[in-house]
Amino acid sequence: MVDYQYIYDYYFNTPHLIKWVWWVSTILAISILVLAVYLKFIRLSLRKKSNETIKFKSEYEALLIEYLYSGDETGKLTKPQELIVNRIKDSIKTPFKRKLIVSVLFNLMNEVSGEMSDSIKMFYYKTGLIHFAFQRLRSKKWNIIAKGIGELRRFGIDEASHAIAPFINHPKSEVRSETHLYMVNLFLFEGLSFLDNLKVPLSEWIQIQLLETLQKFDNQEICDIRPWLKSENNSVVIFALKLAQIYNQFEVKETLMELLSHENKEIRIEVIDVLAHLYGIEAKEMLKTNFNTLSLEEQISFFKLLEKLVVPDDEPFVEAYLFHKNFEIQLLALKILKEINLDKYMGFTNTSNDKKSLAMVKAVKVL
Amino acid sequence: MIKKKIVLAEDNSTLSLLLKFRLEKEGYELFVATDGKEAVDLIENENPDLVLSDIMMPFVSGLEVISHLRNKLNLETPIIVFSSAGQEEMVLKAFNLGANDFMGKPFSPNELVIRIKRLLAK
Repeated sequence: MVDYQYIYDYYFNTPHLIKWVWWVSTILAISILVLAVYLKFIRLSLRKKSNETIKFKSEYEALLIEYLYSGDETGKLTKPQELIVNRIKDSIKTPFKRKLIVSVLFNLMNEVSGEMSDSIKMFYYKTGLIHFAFQRLRSKKWNIIAKGIGELRRFGIDEASHAIAPFINHPKSEVRSETHLYMVNLFLFEGLSFLDNLKVPLSEWIQIQLLETLQKFDNQEICDIRPWLKSENNSVVIFALKLAQIYNQFEVKETLMELLSHENKEIRIEVIDVLAHLYGIEAKEMLKTNFNTLSLEEQISFFKLLEKLVVPDDEPFVEAYLFHKNFEIQLLALKILKEINLDKYMGFTNTSNDKKSLAMVKAVKVL
Repeated sequence: MIKKKIVLAEDNSTLSLLLKFRLEKEGYELFVATDGKEAVDLIENENPDLVLSDIMMPFVSGLEVISHLRNKLNLETPIIVFSSAGQEEMVLKAFNLGANDFMGKPFSPNELVIRIKRLLAK
């Protein structure tokens, strides 16, 4: 009692600042205690969840392997397979277990091919997991839709295309990316038909992913890309130009020539690069005539084209730009001249008075 | 009849289980390692007739397992490596270190059995 009285007196006689410090210290101490208890709780629940995951994973792995090796040659479900499917059907009602089963299936699907891969796909159908993926497509949350499309793509469910097609122009880029990847992964070049209806920009990243996906397949027979070269969506045109270059689409040269007068500068530059790759001689003369009306970037691209397609007749044209104010054009012009008329080029080494130009001439000499 | 021993080093537990099931059905004795370090221990303790190893594994890679087997233990045990797409350079390194065969993922377990039988018959 005496002790309490002492504390009480001490508190009331101390200055306000000390009182305030006591209060802050007490609040901090309580907060630390609460956080420590909370941390302990979190750790325990995570550990419990992790143990459960390991337990269920090994259980489902064993069931899956048993299912895969219980089949017969008829392709119909055997009695043990039916029992396993029914057991899994009960488990997938819980989202946690469903997620775990899908991850086990997908882990194995990535590693094995042939009959085994087909059996895993069959297991995905028979257990009803496919219906949950379709349900995800009807979600109001964009991330759930994206995950649903991703799952259907990974399991190669081609009959989902009608349900997925409406997401081609989805406002969220993640959903769009998954949709585009689904189309190309499952239907190869035919899947690119989504470009016909694409109203939103096709990002650089998804373009790279689509091209990478297309190159994975054995069948490299590309469809007609002309409609995409004429698309009103500039990103589709850019993507079609990449296709033209990668798949050497010589037959679209005429369409490419038309694109040289496209309103978008980026496309015009890209077209010149593709024409250089496809040896577009016709484009060379046309661009030479309009050279002064081109933007600087287009002029540089044209000189790169000329570097590839130059003939001795181009010498007067090249000579006119030997001392162009732009470094890149000057360098390209010198390189081209060196290629077509070495004697004339060597002459510049002696006649040029400008120190900067002379340095460049000497630099090109060693290239 | 004495069963032939195979050490399988693979970090994908589902694939390990599948191969274990399949190869045990074929009459082999399987020792499964989840990483390269475990694989090295199993090779030293069990002296297997064949080693199956994934290239990319935690702690000790498949390449280190091959190197340990060929250069430190000086064993001629046949080795088949598993590789994924984009690991072509690693496969070349594996062959330079002494691997006998390779299979690109995804692969068919039936084809693996044929290759194992061929290597063990030599």
